[in-house]
Amino acid sequence: MICCIEQFIYKSPTLMRIRLLTRRDASASLLAVGTFLTVLFLSAGVAVNAQQQLSKRYPGGKNVRVELRNISGTIVVESWNKNEIRLTATIESKNAHVVPKQINECLVVDVMGDNRGRGDVGDINFKLQVPANSSVDVETRRGNISVSNIRSGLVRAHVSSEGDIELTNISATHVVAQNVIGNIFFDGEFSSGGTYEFKSTKGDITIRIPGNSAFRLIAASPTKQIKLNDFWNNGFKTQDGRKYVGDVGDGRSSVSVTNFSGSITFLRK
Amino acid sequence: MNCEQCQELIHDLIDGSLSQRDESTLNTHLEACLDCDSVRQDLSSIVTYCQMHRGEYEAPPNEQALWLRIRNVIEAETGGRRRAAAQTDTRRPSFVGRLMGHTWELSLAQLASLTAAVVLLVSLTTVIGLRRWGGETVRVAPAYTSNVNDRVWQRNQVINYWNQRVELNKARWSPEMRETFDRNMRVIDEAVANSLNELNRNPHDEVSEQMLNESLNDKLALLKEFSDL
Repeated sequence: MICCIEQFIYKSPTLMRIRLLTRRDASASLLAVGTFLTVLFLSAGVAVNAQQQLSKRYPGGKNVRVELRNISGTIVVESWNKNEIRLTATIESKNAHVVPKQINECLVVDVMGDNRGRGDVGDINFKLQVPANSSVDVETRRGNISVSNIRSGLVRAHVSSEGDIELTNISATHVVAQNVIGNIFFDGEFSSGGTYEFKSTKGDITIRIPGNSAFRLIAASPTKQIKLNDFWNNGFKTQDGRKYVGDVGDGRSSVSVTNFSGSITFLRK
Repeated sequence: MNCEQCQELIHDLIDGSLSQRDESTLNTHLEACLDCDSVRQDLSSIVTYCQMHRGEYEAPPNEQALWLRIRNVIEAETGGRRRAAAQTDTRRPSFVGRLMGHTWELSLAQLASLTAAVVLLVSLTTVIGLRRWGGETVRVAPAYTSNVNDRVWQRNQVINYWNQRVELNKARWSPEMRETFDRNMRVIDEAVANSLNELNRNPHDEVSEQMLNESLNDKLALLKEFSDL
């Protein structure tokens, strides 16, 4: 069928002109598309260049502490086997300032303070690699927080508004995880004498701990979605299933879980 | 504002840690209520006295020995007279009679010493008492009896203040940040409303009361944290 049409076109002079015109149009179209793609590519290049990358290393010590106050963006904290802190940040806006300060063994990154009065500074995504025994205190107005493989005195993750919090392989004396909208997941151990606080307004809270954990629990959720699973015992006092108070084992650590409209689930490792 | 709420805030007023609005409300009540004003004056004078005389009074190295010396001096001065009186009056009146009938004759120096000792004793007792029990005795017991609506109203006054601050800054935020804030505020407002509804149904429900308090605190925290942006 195509061959027939081509033969027909070649035989007709009028159609030959049309065909030539069509070829010229095609070349013009190709040129236009090429130009468009070039412009698009260059724009993308400019957009990529607009993002700043920050990467710095700081010496560690015996009692390393990391404090990070972000406005918007993700925060990832993980341990590594070096005695130093590595901070990597992807900064969306050119207007944003990130000025980490090291005071003794404490690294402070205060995006809020560094950018006061600058208006919107966009997302800043942080990745921190720290010694495993570091105390970690991080917060953001908006964005996810992930902390993993930390064994220290403190792990605090605070999202002022919405963002998931994931704390994996944590063994700390004091743990605080709080957000308004978003899930909270804790996987770790409760140390003897430690305090653990998990709080969300709208999201699911999941706590995964060893079966031999000993703690005093106060768990409250008006939606009655509290599942203690293997950690439930007859000693628990409950108010209509909305609040549970009781000891698991000898109650050596103190655990408080509050969720306004979501579930609270305890899982055994 | 009632008297209980007023007396709870008087400490903060004297410390100067009240917001302008709270201070104004409190002063309005104090102008109208003599009892509360009297409490404010008492507390204020105690605090001022302690601030003025901080570090002035230190306990003597051996307080008991000092008192023994004072007593010996007084007894030595008066002992001779008592013995002479006992020799002239052979009757033994009762203790009360002796006390009532006793006349004290002190020289100016003795009177001054006695007065100084009494002042020292009172000051020491006051300072030690304030240091040891100041928190419990001076502080007015919190009013646990105020009802939920009053507390919510009070909390909302503070929330309104921070809300105004947030509204002033909101124009500077990105559209995404504004949406995030509004969405989260709606979620917290929902939690507050649910707790209040539950409390209206069952006014003594502890879980709802806890949830109400916590959600109001969360709302305040959200406002404060976003007011900085």
